[in-house]
Amino acid sequence: MVSVTMKKRISFIFLTSALLLGLLVVRTAWIQFVMGKELQAKAIDSRLRNIDVKAKRGIIYDRNGSPLAISVSADSVYAVPSQVRRSNRIDEIVNALSQVLELDKEEVRDKLNKKVAFQWIKRRVSDEKIKQLKELDLPGINFVEENRRYYPKGKLAAHILGFAGIDNQGLNGIELTYDKELRGVSGKIMIEYDAAGREIPNAMHQYIPPVDGHSLYLTIDETIQYIAERELDQVMKIKQAKRGTIIVLDIKTGDILALANRPVFDPNNFADYDQGTWRNIAISDAYEPGSTFKTITAAGAMEENVVKPTDRFYDPGYIKVGKETVKCWRSYRPHGSQSFVEGVQNSCNPVFVTVGLRQGKDRFYKYLEGFGFGQKTGIELPGEATGILVPKSRAKDIDLATMSIGQANAVTPIQLIRAVAAIANDGWLMKPQLVKEIRDYDGKLLKKIEPEPVRQVISKNTSEELRAILETVVSEGTGKNAYLEGYKVAGKTGTAQKILPGGGYSSNEYIASFIGFAPADHPRIAALVIVDSPQGVYYGGQVAAPVFKNVVLDTLRYLEVPPEITGEAKFMEEKIIVPDVKNKKINIVTKELKSLGLKVQVEGQGDKVIIQLPPAGSQVIKGSTTILYTQDENSDQVVVPDLTGRTIKEASIILSELGLEMAPQGSGLAVIQEPQPGSKVDKGTSVRVKFLSPNEEHHEETIGP
Amino acid sequence: MSFKKKQPDIVLFLTTFLLLSIGVIMVLSASSYHAMLFYDNPYHFLKRQLMWAGLGIISMFFFMNFDYYKTKRLIVTGFIVTLVLLVLVLIPGVGINVKGSSRWLGVGSLTFTPSEIVKLAIVFFFARAMSMDTEKIKNFQGFLSYLAVLGIVVALLLLQPDLGTTIAVAGTAFCMFIAAGARLSHLFGLAFTGVLGVIGLIIQEPYRLKRIVGYLKPFETASNEGYQTVQSLYALGSGWLFGIGLGNSRQKFLYLPERHTDFIFAIIGEELGFIGVFLVILLFFLFIWRGYRIALYAPDRFASLLAVGLTSIIAVQSVINIGVVTGSLPVTGITLPFVSYGGSSLTFSLIGVGILLNISRYCHK
Repeated sequence: MVSVTMKKRISFIFLTSALLLGLLVVRTAWIQFVMGKELQAKAIDSRLRNIDVKAKRGIIYDRNGSPLAISVSADSVYAVPSQVRRSNRIDEIVNALSQVLELDKEEVRDKLNKKVAFQWIKRRVSDEKIKQLKELDLPGINFVEENRRYYPKGKLAAHILGFAGIDNQGLNGIELTYDKELRGVSGKIMIEYDAAGREIPNAMHQYIPPVDGHSLYLTIDETIQYIAERELDQVMKIKQAKRGTIIVLDIKTGDILALANRPVFDPNNFADYDQGTWRNIAISDAYEPGSTFKTITAAGAMEENVVKPTDRFYDPGYIKVGKETVKCWRSYRPHGSQSFVEGVQNSCNPVFVTVGLRQGKDRFYKYLEGFGFGQKTGIELPGEATGILVPKSRAKDIDLATMSIGQANAVTPIQLIRAVAAIANDGWLMKPQLVKEIRDYDGKLLKKIEPEPVRQVISKNTSEELRAILETVVSEGTGKNAYLEGYKVAGKTGTAQKILPGGGYSSNEYIASFIGFAPADHPRIAALVIVDSPQGVYYGGQVAAPVFKNVVLDTLRYLEVPPEITGEAKFMEEKIIVPDVKNKKINIVTKELKSLGLKVQVEGQGDKVIIQLPPAGSQVIKGSTTILYTQDENSDQVVVPDLTGRTIKEASIILSELGLEMAPQGSGLAVIQEPQPGSKVDKGTSVRVKFLSPNEEHHEETIGP
Repeated sequence: MSFKKKQPDIVLFLTTFLLLSIGVIMVLSASSYHAMLFYDNPYHFLKRQLMWAGLGIISMFFFMNFDYYKTKRLIVTGFIVTLVLLVLVLIPGVGINVKGSSRWLGVGSLTFTPSEIVKLAIVFFFARAMSMDTEKIKNFQGFLSYLAVLGIVVALLLLQPDLGTTIAVAGTAFCMFIAAGARLSHLFGLAFTGVLGVIGLIIQEPYRLKRIVGYLKPFETASNEGYQTVQSLYALGSGWLFGIGLGNSRQKFLYLPERHTDFIFAIIGEELGFIGVFLVILLFFLFIWRGYRIALYAPDRFASLLAVGLTSIIAVQSVINIGVVTGSLPVTGITLPFVSYGGSSLTFSLIGVGILLNISRYCHK
């Protein structure tokens, strides 16, 4: 028999064990019920491997919805190194990867030997190579779709767009300033792996879809941008210049319609270009504006009533300011006696020095600051410069004199054109705008950016008076080469000696420029043309004014700004209003138009009208021709229309309605096209159209003083 | 003293059988993934577990019916043989060294661990000794002589090193000392010395110190010392009340180490939730209740001490194992009796149950 003491002791052991088991029950319950949720979350987290799914970067459109920057997807190759190593086929895999992807063998081997769960092998590989690799079915080698930024128009508007890097991060231009909006929110693919990095059976897959970036609608007009780039290319080529800039601004809104610089880069492979080409000199580089700045001097002086258009001045070829002498640019043949208006036309230095000195320091600086010089314009691009003004406290009379003729102060092109646009805009200085709208991926409007007036610098009266004077610069004065058929243009030439890096002026390098706006009576657009270091003739009136003319004329025509003056008398004839025949059957339409007394020309072989020219509602002379473009809706092919005689704008509308792209060349009216009219092509085909100005034969380069 | 045989303790029998069944199922669930990976056969461990369980059940039935008194003559010889085996296993070239521990004897795939025998051997040895001289344990010299025997065994086990078995053996022996009537002052002294000894062992081996750090701060050291504990808690915590379903463990995908052996309890918690965990603890409670009950009603002192020892082996191991899995104790390397995959140890545990059942047939209640 077992003793009583022993029984007690055995019971004690039992009770202690039972108590311990009871405590363990409580402990387990605590772990499972109290800590459970947190532990489970951590456990899942530790088992999931994330693969980032990049959001599609938002599209950048021009103001009319033509895409300038898009995201296209391409596959990237990555490895799960542990899987590769486990396959025991590492040599084979290294060989295959290095061969197909054209990579160094050792580099690939190093990557595959890394102790990581995820290793990129090569990003954004062509479909063909991906197909080859997929066929090889290499263990541990996987593919993920990634987005790549693509700029379909190449170098067009490169300095505005900037570029995005390999991880879709905005690095320059609008891509950088609006990176937050464009970028979107990355998504994730989460896959459950075992502790050694193998995907497990019935693995948990979680997909958090990316939120695609917002789209931007710029103020840039692709066509105007194209015109600016074309003209800039041409002048750079002819004048063998070092650098160049053209800016076209909408005067009323401050919208930048075009902004082009040379040298330029292709944002599709920006890394292949010298970093210097990335520089947006239109906003980042200050220069001495020279005579173009005299517009500002004149504006301040007129607003302060220190000068009237009829005031008389005498130019002996120079002017004395204290002990110093400021020469006129035409000191070899002084302008002599002239009115203020003539002085502006002649860009006569002594006149502006006199006017500037009459204003005095305080009033002069008031307008410098009022027009926004020495301050950033707030344009939404990275790297804007403020320019350099002679400090007011240090400015003496001689500084005032040189500033009056556009020397001593350095301004950025964007500052200058904004100030001149203010002169045209009844004195209202606007913030230069680059983005009109932000829309989400589905096209829903998120934000509309309204024009932003900064301040009124001069009165409406002064504005109108000065506009009239500047118009005579083009009609009578140094800016004759900017004269536009059919439009009144106001503007000012500029020829400045370049400042040497160490200070002082260069004796053989100049900056030729022209700034102006049109139509002079009802200004719509302002444009600035700067040609840095042209070879041969370097005067702004000879180098920059013709460029200005081409840009502004094409732009006004494109914008369908009605010509103000015409050399021909208009005959009074019977007018017919063209009816809307769009989407109607061709045979019915033909009858209808003929009964109205219009001739009909049919393009294409469909039975429905998709475009009519002239558009519905236009007044036309009886007997004129209406062109009807048709298309067979059920076909992916379209018949190339005859574009002969069409303007750039008309041609671009016709082609885009048909689903075709246009590659324009030249300016004016269409003369030659490729493919030929009547040929059948796939939708999306690019039609090359050559435009020629109707006055091409009269247009010649003016060389001389 | 009645030698009339009764029915063996049916509760103990069923409890053991249930634990064994749960074990077989959970071993399959916990091991199939890595068995597939490393042995190309998801049933690799299941097959072996079934084999050893089968062998164990046969042995259990054998010892259930075998007159355990007949073993009494063999006890001393058996104990000496066990000590010899414990020495042999330490000799390089004779013992098989795996992961730094010399625990195995044998040739080829026929291996066994003397550690398993030593648990039974010491229980038998102490039961015999303490029942032959009931007063010896009560005096200091006698107590010291038992301690000396225990010390030799513990030293040999620590030399392998096999901390898990050491703790199980020491814990079991301590329970037998209590039951046999050792003086409280001696027991407290031993407990105190034991604590000092454990501290000494911890300081002596850096890996043991790391285990303590991992125990105290599992989440701060989750990537090294605390890894096992953290992964174990992840598994348990994922289970909640009903678990994520049999066979659905995620932690078994190589996250939880020793998933089918030392940490099988965590997989039970993950797959079957608190319900499963509670059931397993309840079964162990029933086991030790019936086990100590057999000790209480055993026909004589020898049988009673034998029952205390055999039950304590299971009690100590289950409490420590669950304590480790729940992060309540530092990681020691003790399996969960009947449930963990354990090869020969399962057979020896079942032999122990067989003897317990055998004793129960002679109980007077």
